[in-house]
Amino acid sequence: MLKLKLFVQESWLLLASSFFFGLLIAVTNAALSGKIEQNKTAKLNELTRTLLPDAAIFQPVQAEIEVTLPDGTKEAARIFEALSADKQRIGWSFMAHGSGFSGDIELVMAADKDFQKLRGYNVLVSSETPGFGDQMKNDYYRNQFVNAPTEPLTLSKTGNPAAVDSQIVAITGATVTSTAVVNLVNTFVVQIKDQMTKKGLIGNVSQQR
Amino acid sequence: MSASNDSLSSPYSAALFTGLWKENPTFRLLIGLCPPLAVTTAVKPALTMGLSVIFVLVCSNIVVSLMRNLIKPHVRIIMFTVTIATFVTICDMFLKAYTPKMSEMLGAYVPLIIVNCLIIFRAEACASKSGMVISILDGIGMGTGFTLALCTLAGIRELLATGHVFDIQVMPKAFVPWLAFQMPVGAFVTLGLILGLITALTRKKGA
Repeated sequence: MLKLKLFVQESWLLLASSFFFGLLIAVTNAALSGKIEQNKTAKLNELTRTLLPDAAIFQPVQAEIEVTLPDGTKEAARIFEALSADKQRIGWSFMAHGSGFSGDIELVMAADKDFQKLRGYNVLVSSETPGFGDQMKNDYYRNQFVNAPTEPLTLSKTGNPAAVDSQIVAITGATVTSTAVVNLVNTFVVQIKDQMTKKGLIGNVSQQR
Repeated sequence: MSASNDSLSSPYSAALFTGLWKENPTFRLLIGLCPPLAVTTAVKPALTMGLSVIFVLVCSNIVVSLMRNLIKPHVRIIMFTVTIATFVTICDMFLKAYTPKMSEMLGAYVPLIIVNCLIIFRAEACASKSGMVISILDGIGMGTGFTLALCTLAGIRELLATGHVFDIQVMPKAFVPWLAFQMPVGAFVTLGLILGLITALTRKKGA
């Protein structure tokens, strides 16, 4: 009993202020969490819309599609069906991530409605070296993925970056980042395409709406 | 309160102005050096970080000053940390809600204000011994000094690394950007040169 009294005597201010501060954070969170979530969704939609400009709605794909990462772990892929204003499918968008030169790279990618050609990517998260790996956000590198086939891509040091093919020309001085982007595209695109074909989401079956 | 009756204004102005130059946290005391090195690639994020620090510093100084007679000495550090963490969390949420791009740019450095020793130092050295007005002025003064230091560093780095200041083209188009200044090495070099310059200037003054 004495111990409890001593405990309260010594720490009542800490207990009371922790309660008060907790309340303050809870109130701020309640007031702002909606807006924070809205910002996240808006960013994702904005980035995806630049890849699929005609898309009006992004509908999450319900079918379970698993991607095996290079380290052997499996995870559920986040895929969205992009629909035009009159509910016609115009493409697909999905998230892809992997390790870059410094920290994780997270991309939002898009493919055409038959999943035959990529529509490019946008960077959601990256902390690549400014001026070097960071150039993966620039058109020079990004445009090489636009209309590239949805099959394993290869990276080369020389070549024509303007050519629409499965060969990607690396960024000078940022080989690790260039390789990382190609690898994560290969990991996600090929597996997602395979499983979506198996599940009949793409291919000959056309969804009626 | 330590204010004497004969010169009431002096402790207040001292509290407000010491942090700007005489005890500038970055350039003279060399404390809280994580943000000056990490977020000074451009002026905009540096200014946002500076304003966030002013907010946290003023709020934590107010709370610590109010509680100064109630805090038991051996739990004071944890009390300061809880107080600072609360205001940093609130500040972080506001940035995420109203300036999401800036919040993303600053990344983990906003939550890291919690462990910035400038704030806990002012709580210990000033707010836990002074009245509310002095503590608020001290928070504003020290925070402004810190912000000015951040902006100076960021201005130099942004100018040399991109040719822009505050996203406005300053250097001629022919200027070749010094990319190294955008990387950590640029922060160390710039801070080192500024500190060297300040030491040289103040030494001359003393001689």
